[in-house]
Amino acid sequence: MVDATLLTQMVIGALLGLSVYLPLRCGQLSLATPGFYAIGGTLAALLSTRVNALGGSEPSYPISSVLLEMALTGALCGVLASGIGAVVLRLRGVYLAIATIALVEILRVTTLNQEALGGAVGIFGIPQPFDDPAGYALFGAGLLAVICWLCDRLERNRLGRAMAAIRDDELAAACQGIDTERSKLVAFVLSAVVAGLTGVISAHFFNSWNARLGNFDASITTLAFVVFGGSRTWAGPVLGGLVLTALPELLRPIGDLRLIVFGLVILVGPLLLPQGLVNPSLIGWLTQRRP
Amino acid sequence: MSTPLLETRNLGVRFGGLQALEGIDLQVHRGEIFGLLGPNGAGKTTLFNLISGITPASSGEVLWRGGSIGGLDANRIARLGLARTFQNLRLFSSLNCRDNVLVGMHRQARLPWAAALLGTPLAQRRQRELKDRAQELLALLAIGHLAEQNAAGLSYGDRRRLEIARALANSPELLLLDEPAAGMNPGEKDQLRDLIRRLRDRFDLTILIIEHHVPLMLGLCDRLAVLNFGRRIALGSADEVRQDPAVIEAYLGGSR
Repeated sequence: MVDATLLTQMVIGALLGLSVYLPLRCGQLSLATPGFYAIGGTLAALLSTRVNALGGSEPSYPISSVLLEMALTGALCGVLASGIGAVVLRLRGVYLAIATIALVEILRVTTLNQEALGGAVGIFGIPQPFDDPAGYALFGAGLLAVICWLCDRLERNRLGRAMAAIRDDELAAACQGIDTERSKLVAFVLSAVVAGLTGVISAHFFNSWNARLGNFDASITTLAFVVFGGSRTWAGPVLGGLVLTALPELLRPIGDLRLIVFGLVILVGPLLLPQGLVNPSLIGWLTQRRP
Repeated sequence: MSTPLLETRNLGVRFGGLQALEGIDLQVHRGEIFGLLGPNGAGKTTLFNLISGITPASSGEVLWRGGSIGGLDANRIARLGLARTFQNLRLFSSLNCRDNVLVGMHRQARLPWAAALLGTPLAQRRQRELKDRAQELLALLAIGHLAEQNAAGLSYGDRRRLEIARALANSPELLLLDEPAAGMNPGEKDQLRDLIRRLRDRFDLTILIIEHHVPLMLGLCDRLAVLNFGRRIALGSADEVRQDPAVIEAYLGGSR
């Protein structure tokens, strides 16, 4: 039932969930994740198919080249997000959400109309660093583990506390000496980098890349991961991403009914657990049992 | 006389057609407990908002140790050593009491980012020190036993005390208290007066306080200013203010 291909997809879902979660922990509803995911995917696709020096013509694509793509993508997404964030983070609440949706759409339409970026057809024949889907699952899980660890550290230190304070009351946070603009920007940049790195893995895993992979639907799906899993701590979006990615596949035996069940889960989850699966009372219960 | 710690010169703010404050001149000296009195809507909280950088002034300026701090963001002003509480309580409701105080220590909690990320022994030691200090502050405000409790679940009086603890966490030189006694019973108000004096002595503070409870203010403050309709109508010691005709008229109504 759960094979390496599905596992890889689940890990990708968890990573995208974390990307949506990071700004949300600062109280910023940004839906830009698929935009940066698409930048990562497109960049990886272009580099690995058009730059021979990276080893695209070899039978097995070197992992070092994948890591190089990730480094470049991380840098590009980081720089872009600092510039874009400095502007769009002046907006609050639903206005920020709308501006970031616009960003995703601009990137999608640009990619669609630029032959050099793949155009409407997309980019095919992206070389494979792993012969087996298990390789992708392991590689992705490794990245997920590193990013979870980073999020855990972040949540326990000064910046993480500042981010939670901004979410609760931005004005009071500023009066504690917190540079709220800067903290929000850091969260936005981290979110973009995580999304970009996930795009690189996805491009190789999918073997092809096109503009439709980073669209408005993806914004809503990734947001659902966080709403369903909870946005109090990093475990929420990870769990949400894993479960909601796996569910449609696991329900396949029940045929068309699966879409109805999936819809019901998304609908009923937030109704029963408004703060997500990993919610404050669960966290309280878990931490109290630990001495 | 030495430079005042905080000074406002001809400070004013206009919201559309409403002149909320006009021509406010105040000098607050180091070590002083300075009171702001005035009826509802006189502009006391607005004055706090101007001083702490939340609302930009329309005219005049605010001076900190003789230098202008007009136009600085709230976070920059807080980092100068100026902390405040809020009349309508603005705690971080999803955090527990200790974390609320730790957020107040943002200014002191700075560490090299790599050390903070990796949780080096240095970072762990610093973190422990900060937690210990947070616990001390909570204990000082008599809410030490609530450290693990969520701020949202506290009683009204405890929330007021937590706001003061959070403000003290910043190690401020100047503490702005906006109606700290609101919602407290008479016994708690008496304790509060002693507490504020003790805090001033212990932390070498200068305190600017807004409060409606006139007897508390007259007994506590070294000097007071009285505001009415956005203007300063009186300034002086408790006795001077008590006998000021303009103050009596503002509070009791005048005969025309």
